[in-house]
Amino acid sequence: MHKVRDRFCLSAVGLLGIVVFTSGCSGSRAQTASSGVPDLSGIWLGKAVQSLSPSDPTAKKPGAEGDIPYTPWALARMKAERPATGPHATLENTTDPALKYADPDGYPRASIHPMRFKIVQTPDYIYQLWEYNESWRQIALNRPHSEVPDISWFGESVGKWEGDTLVVDSVGFKDSTWLDPIGHPHSEDLHITERIRRVDHETLVFDFTFDDPKAYTKPWNGEVTFKLKTDGIMTENIYTISDELNFRQRFLNEKPSIPIRPSH
Amino acid sequence: MRNRVIALGALLLAAPLFAHHGGTSLYDTSKELAQEATVSEFQWTNPHVEVGLDAKGNSGKVRHWLLELPSPPVLVNQGWNRKSLQQGDVIKVSFYPAKSGASVGWLLTLTKADGSQLVGHSKQQ
Repeated sequence: MHKVRDRFCLSAVGLLGIVVFTSGCSGSRAQTASSGVPDLSGIWLGKAVQSLSPSDPTAKKPGAEGDIPYTPWALARMKAERPATGPHATLENTTDPALKYADPDGYPRASIHPMRFKIVQTPDYIYQLWEYNESWRQIALNRPHSEVPDISWFGESVGKWEGDTLVVDSVGFKDSTWLDPIGHPHSEDLHITERIRRVDHETLVFDFTFDDPKAYTKPWNGEVTFKLKTDGIMTENIYTISDELNFRQRFLNEKPSIPIRPSH
Repeated sequence: MRNRVIALGALLLAAPLFAHHGGTSLYDTSKELAQEATVSEFQWTNPHVEVGLDAKGNSGKVRHWLLELPSPPVLVNQGWNRKSLQQGDVIKVSFYPAKSGASVGWLLTLTKADGSQLVGHSKQQ
């Protein structure tokens, strides 16, 4: 099992071109990295979250939660969305960009699948590697945002340590992504502040503040908790056209528009 | 170059088809079926793991079912792996059938011949 874990760590190094802070991939687990800051590295798993609304996590009343301060623009958008999972699911008419177009989930939605992510921690950067669609983001430490941040799926993130808490500031999000599977919207002006804390050896808590004046009349908060997984396993999950065509042919009896890649 | 243009065109044509399976919307979540069945195939694949089953109905006629499970990373957390089922395994299975009447379903739980149980999708509230 250690070989598998080490191989994954080496793959991460190859993929990202970084030097992995060795405590992140060793068999022993330290609460505090040798640089004196907390060690967040490891594989983490949370529960499936339908909605980031603290009062309505299972999304029973999307758009009328009471704790989400929608602007009229955001409320209209929220009411028009048709999620593809959960109690309000639709198949043919979903507007979920991640499922309709295979768009990347964006952030923080990427973290709230019931799938794992790995944190790789170096002195200058922290990397979050998700199983879901094999996607990742980097958090640059102790640096300002770039002068003109790109608009991107996962935004631009910078962070700094405040005691035992990693405070992450992110901007530059593509406005087509949803914050969560129920469809909470945002604009390109979205600014996320995260306070990330390892509250005990087994538990990592992300506290989000969403500040987006176009979408919300005031900042609002969501919180997600993750548990440490020590088996070293990260499983591939890549969503391809060929797999989707195969699924739709077999389950929906739909004729594929292009020949399905044969599996050899 | 021409081949690249054709390939890109095919990709664009295929893109709208990504309206993906849609979770439970295909299935009748008010109706949970329980069957004893023989595994005919087990595909450990994305977007969803697939199980093919042959189940004998009350009339004695065998019906072939194709059931979907969550994707591999989710199942790993529930104790599955790509060898959890083998062709020929006799299992007891519960699932939501398709609303359309097609022989496809949404797998909830299965019990193997040795009594061990594996959980697939969560039941809908």
